[in-house]
Amino acid sequence: MKKLVLLLVGIALLAGYAYGADLEYFQVYAPKDGMSADEIMQVEYFVKYTKFLRDVEFYGKAYLIDKSGATRERGTLRQRITLGRKSDNVAYKDLNMFTSPAQVKGMATLSWTYLDPKRQQDIWIWLPSLKKIRKVSTASSDDSFMGSDFSVEDILTRRFEDETYTLVGQENFKGYTSKFDNKTYYQGTPSFVIECKSKRSPWYYSKRVLWVDKKTGGGFYEEKYDPNGKKFMTLFKNFVVYNVNGKEFPMQTIIEGEDLRTGHRSVIINSDIKIDKGLLEEKFSEGTLSQQRW
Amino acid sequence: MKKLVICLLFLCLCYSFASAGLLDKDKFEFNGYVKTETSFRIDGSANTTLDKFKNFIDLAGQYKISGDELVFFLHARYWYDFAYGLNDKLDPAQYYMQHVQRTDWLRDCYLDFIKDRWFLRLGKQQVVWGQADGIAILDRVNPFDLTEYWLPDAPDIRIPLWMANINYSPKLNSNIQLLIIPDFEQSTAAPPPAPFAFRSYKLYEDFKKFWIGPPKPGHPFTGALNQNIYYPDDPIKIGFQWKDKISGWDYTLNYLYGYDYLARTYLDSTVVQILPRQPPKITRNYGRRFKIDQLVGGSLNHTFTREGPLKGVTLRADAAVYINEPTYYGNAATGESAGVNRWNNIFWLMGLDRFFFTKYLASFQFAQYIMEHDDGGVFNPSTKRPYDTLNTYTNGAQDKLENIFSLKISSHYMNDKLLPEVLWSFTDDNQGRISPKINYEVNDNLWLTLGYHYFYGDPRDSNGEFRNENQLYLNVKYTF
Repeated sequence: MKKLVLLLVGIALLAGYAYGADLEYFQVYAPKDGMSADEIMQVEYFVKYTKFLRDVEFYGKAYLIDKSGATRERGTLRQRITLGRKSDNVAYKDLNMFTSPAQVKGMATLSWTYLDPKRQQDIWIWLPSLKKIRKVSTASSDDSFMGSDFSVEDILTRRFEDETYTLVGQENFKGYTSKFDNKTYYQGTPSFVIECKSKRSPWYYSKRVLWVDKKTGGGFYEEKYDPNGKKFMTLFKNFVVYNVNGKEFPMQTIIEGEDLRTGHRSVIINSDIKIDKGLLEEKFSEGTLSQQRW
Repeated sequence: MKKLVICLLFLCLCYSFASAGLLDKDKFEFNGYVKTETSFRIDGSANTTLDKFKNFIDLAGQYKISGDELVFFLHARYWYDFAYGLNDKLDPAQYYMQHVQRTDWLRDCYLDFIKDRWFLRLGKQQVVWGQADGIAILDRVNPFDLTEYWLPDAPDIRIPLWMANINYSPKLNSNIQLLIIPDFEQSTAAPPPAPFAFRSYKLYEDFKKFWIGPPKPGHPFTGALNQNIYYPDDPIKIGFQWKDKISGWDYTLNYLYGYDYLARTYLDSTVVQILPRQPPKITRNYGRRFKIDQLVGGSLNHTFTREGPLKGVTLRADAAVYINEPTYYGNAATGESAGVNRWNNIFWLMGLDRFFFTKYLASFQFAQYIMEHDDGGVFNPSTKRPYDTLNTYTNGAQDKLENIFSLKISSHYMNDKLLPEVLWSFTDDNQGRISPKINYEVNDNLWLTLGYHYFYGDPRDSNGEFRNENQLYLNVKYTF
């Protein structure tokens, strides 16, 4: 019996993996009614990591806001090239830089993400305070991402394979009012509600409840619950649909997170997004980091 | 000084124009900071004296002449240390330590050219080789300013040089670098009685005081001393680095040829003059010379990304052979140098970095400095035994095999507003340094740093020599 269960689990995993493998890079996918939770989440991850694009460049600002309202601001530039290349297993490469304030200006990271879900990213960092490139260990997935309220896995490392998924409902979303710009987003948007449970145990959250836009596949709102089942974090993403060369796809323009325990909030605004401008893969190398001046 | 003022005025004008929108903001970028570094020396009796009240203004700007292809970058810094006006004990070192020296105010001044596979950086700059932290194994392209020992950040220790830094990438993720350095600056150190003056410098000062002057007990002659510094006539330095990646392992091969930046002292001659009805006059003539040596080495860097016990560990390694490295020999007990050997010495390091308990980063380094021989090879005529090999900075005994360790733990709190770290570096001679530090970001522009340097060990060892010079410091930095 035990062997049979294992076999069934194995088949199910393979089926899931096969579906994931079926999502081809550089194509646009959207969820459909009748899809399983796993299938919806495959699309959600595809959208999250912009696998439908060759390359993209985000200029923006990140705001770290205390409970008192005191705000720290960081200028950011993020570039990504999607490769989905099986020969060397590289899925995509990211280049992230701080453009302000002066204290952190020039700090830059280069990361390579691999197709193999069990393989960690390779990350290099340019440290202006040392004027040198360091290859660094991937930070713990549950650690804070660059001082924000997002965890490292929220932004960088969480993969489809890291959680199990249950479709808990479908609804028209009640709406999210941003504390940053006081606008209400996604009110009445038809969405799937997915419960995501980490395969790691113990872990810093017991579950995430995620609302996925039926139209675009973007996971636009989530609530995280601690191991005691208490909600401790909300995370909102605003997607705007772009049309480039006849291809329509959603891009994240706002990410807002709030730690309900501390009242601290983090907001990332991608104000200037350039898509498929022809970034060269050579740019995503250590050489680019060593050309930093600040 | 005049050049510095002109340069600062130029940068300020550019900033004003940029602020007023007269310069294209896409082409021109400008940043700077003012900073105050205050520190107190705490000696063995817990007496506290102000030993640094250093104030900086730092300005940097870049102008994109032609997109990202051709960019001019300028970075200037001026500082003045008021402690040398407030603390009489520091007076003898005031001339060298109170303000920025000569052209050191110009930190960077170069033109970047980036086209296809080529990257050229022409001008005054610093180039960093190697993976080691705080230990210069391959990082020897630029000379060092050790007036504050190895305590400041590495870019503030390196002395920039005018050079051509030519890079070509023959294939993805690889790079050939050629450095042609026609400039020369010597590495510097603090003169006594400045904090962190090396023991070897103090011994030389004491020797001069003893030697120079009329006869005295144990010194039945008139002593005189001359010292000349012989700068290289043709100080060109050549560097080469090949960088590539094999199966996730980044590696470099390095070669550096040219004059060592640290002068060694040679006794050139001793002249005895017999004077009628007077004690003899003995003049010792010393020459400080820079010698050509070579560095051959390489580095490795790898993060274990696949499943297994090492997953998440970053491994770093540097190794170098210094061919014909000048190495002092003499009497380690008295700290008296008797001459200089030219040896092939080896320095290698391995470092491991890993996060643990979510937010703590541990960096461990182990290094070995291996001298070519056990002793100086030359016999001391008074003891009939070979001379000792000497540590360049302390004139204490230099082991043939020196084991060096460092461990740094760093973390972050309050959404990265509070960044604590502690560094412990030590050797197998039971000497070392413990340096805890806290950085606090008050707001986007204002940063505070509070820290302490605690030294221990034998006074003839490189950290132990400062065991009565522990330092408590506070830095305030405002950026704009």
